[in-house]
Amino acid sequence: MPRRRFGTFSGGINLPAEKDATLDAAIAPWPVQELRIPLCPLPAAQAQPVVAPGDKVKPGQLLARTDDPQQVNVYAPLAGVVGDFTDVLVPDDFFGWRSSRAIVLKDLQPASQPNRPDFDWEHADAAELLERLREGHLLLCSGPFDNVSRWLESAIESAADTLICNVMENAPLVTADHRLLAERGGDVVRGLAILAKALSVAHTMLAVDSQRTGAYRSAARLAGALKIDTIALAPKYPIEAQAMLTQVLTRRQVVPGRSTLSVRVAMVDAATCAAAYQWAALGLRQTHRVVTMAGRGVKSPGNYLIPFGTDAAWLLAQACESEPPLRVHGSPMNGRELAVGAVVGPRTNALLGMEDSYAGPPTPCIRCGWCSDNCPARLNVAALNDDFELAHLDGAKARCVTACVGCGICTYLCPARLPLMSRCQQLRQMILREAKAATP
Amino acid sequence: MTQAPTQPGAVLTKPPFLRAPEASRTILLVIFACACLPLAAGVFFFGWRVIILTAISVATCVGVESIYYRLTRQPALRRRTHAALMGLLLALTLPPFVPWYVPLAGGVIAIVIGKAIFGGVGHFLWQPALVGRLAVVVLFAPPLWSVVELTRPAWPVLAVNRVITGDIANVRPAERYVSWRDTQATGSNDAFELPTPRKILRELTTDQARPPESIGEQLAKLPSAWDIIVGAYGGGIGETCSLAILCAGLYLIYRNYVNGYLSGMMILAAAVTAAVAPVRTAAGDFRWLPLLIEGSDVGFLYVVYQVLAGELLLSAFFLAPEMTSRPVTAPAQGIFGLLCGGLGMLLALYTSIPIPFYAAVLACNTLTPVLDGIRPRVLGQRRWWQKKS
Repeated sequence: MPRRRFGTFSGGINLPAEKDATLDAAIAPWPVQELRIPLCPLPAAQAQPVVAPGDKVKPGQLLARTDDPQQVNVYAPLAGVVGDFTDVLVPDDFFGWRSSRAIVLKDLQPASQPNRPDFDWEHADAAELLERLREGHLLLCSGPFDNVSRWLESAIESAADTLICNVMENAPLVTADHRLLAERGGDVVRGLAILAKALSVAHTMLAVDSQRTGAYRSAARLAGALKIDTIALAPKYPIEAQAMLTQVLTRRQVVPGRSTLSVRVAMVDAATCAAAYQWAALGLRQTHRVVTMAGRGVKSPGNYLIPFGTDAAWLLAQACESEPPLRVHGSPMNGRELAVGAVVGPRTNALLGMEDSYAGPPTPCIRCGWCSDNCPARLNVAALNDDFELAHLDGAKARCVTACVGCGICTYLCPARLPLMSRCQQLRQMILREAKAATP
Repeated sequence: MTQAPTQPGAVLTKPPFLRAPEASRTILLVIFACACLPLAAGVFFFGWRVIILTAISVATCVGVESIYYRLTRQPALRRRTHAALMGLLLALTLPPFVPWYVPLAGGVIAIVIGKAIFGGVGHFLWQPALVGRLAVVVLFAPPLWSVVELTRPAWPVLAVNRVITGDIANVRPAERYVSWRDTQATGSNDAFELPTPRKILRELTTDQARPPESIGEQLAKLPSAWDIIVGAYGGGIGETCSLAILCAGLYLIYRNYVNGYLSGMMILAAAVTAAVAPVRTAAGDFRWLPLLIEGSDVGFLYVVYQVLAGELLLSAFFLAPEMTSRPVTAPAQGIFGLLCGGLGMLLALYTSIPIPFYAAVLACNTLTPVLDGIRPRVLGQRRWWQKKS
């Protein structure tokens, strides 16, 4: 697949993949009984509901409307009856959760949205595509907590010249994006072409894992026809991190503390591309997410198409024989511990049952240096840990902690079981917040 | 020590939710096991007394550590495993003929002054085992405590027919350095004693009255290459057997517990220093580049003897790479190794310090906080010539 030679990055490790259970499991539906659809999927003003309790709704019907450009409209994933309002948890920055009002949807009917191919994306120009995507009220499935149209605007503002679709997905257990590209590669590649056209970028790349190119043949063929470079890269973790993939593919180093847009690279994932195509070409709202359910104790591991608003804990309990000791939302390396009341959203790429038997209580750092040796951002993590313990924010700033990509290798390797990544991320957040407060 | 049982969900509340299986204790135990290999060689060549000395050293370190943290009511930091390792390393550096109270004194000082008052593992500045070794050298120096000999003009090795079971104290001086395989003990004497290779090599670089004939002559007085490789010559308990130290050290490098650059740089720097630093010729003047003075074959042998005979290998694979007292980042470790090796070889060549490489490691440990500032450029960080935007 690759025609050009690409470099690599220093640090990084080869993690045990543990993907065998779900790698070849086709995307399947999962029956749900009740949805609690958040009205506030993004950290901005809440969308105002346009339905009342007792109303019957159809799939794709508008549930809540907003005028705030930072927020998105909310649509019904399935047919059902509107119930009461309630509160749910949605993912927030820094491994946390945020509370949001939600609409309950009951008496669900298994119906799907009708196709409305009323927009000719192949002959539309950039402005028309941008307008169409704005009407779509799409959410980004990875990267910054933002909607697609605002992300496109900031990419245009920063004069992005490269668009990369990141399907590396080399954290253990997670296979959602892999299945999406393998089974619905046409949607993903066309969605990527739509986003590239809207951004008017010079280069568009589809980055995939070199171990799994066999599953992507049809997608790669289509990508070639749409002038998208398909690039297969060796799966050294964390090449899926945006800063690392940017460095490998473009040789540009992301400015610490800023996104890849700082070096004029826009990066999306497969799920966002598929949603962009399904809306722009077929008129389908973004209401479902492919979720990998795997890990210890999960009796039916696989990739499932789950509507937004499904209770994540309920879903995992359905999939497990017994309660797993640890329930994880997202990747095992940088996801979140599942909280009670959390629902499936655009960022739920995996729900995992895991053991926590490896961990012991944290002990003092013995200065083995493995965290620094393997850090892909080449941070001196041991010194940053000292800065954290001594509350020495200036030291952390001088050591450029804002370059942390949040891959979790330091914590994974630490023989003293110190939570190094979360400490680095706390320092990073503090410094970024301080810098934000300082700029008018 | 067993770790406190984990409660489900109580520990891993922050990502990543996967952990590599190696814990601090695993590292220390594996290093301990590897250090037992040179110890086994020591027992073989220096007899059962070595086991007693090592047991005293390890027991002292573990006991003092327990008592210290019991008294100060501080939580012990990776306590007994690390203390046992320090005790073993201290024993490896001691001569095999010392009386029982030498490892006792060394162990107490290693743990209390070397480790505990700094706050335990992760905080001390100097390698504790070497602090203990240095203190022993100072404490039992002749004017202070002339009864005890820490260094002698000639050091003992057990004869071939008395290995392991022989008593190193029953010693008979040998007239000249023969091959160890030809030694046979007779009567009540188990060991024979000879000048150490370091002492013979040292005659090449001291300003003594009669200069040596040539480097080749001096090398002929040394034990055979086979003796040097297996460790059949006078030296510290764990210092002599190059083969055992290399095997254990390479395994530690393979496990990533020792940075190969540090050990490699240390040996390389020592070899280069030995090859370049001036030695005395028959005329009495000093000449540079001993590697080439009498042809490269003699010069090569000279450098190999300088590297293998003595405590360089033990320092390079076990003492200098001690995790807390060496720098953390990879480039700083390389520089640390270079400094240790170069300084150690210079001390060995031109001073009468009985523990040149250990002293060099201790001196370079002092520089660790400075060396820690040397690190690779962080991803995306500006280079010094790039302007601030």
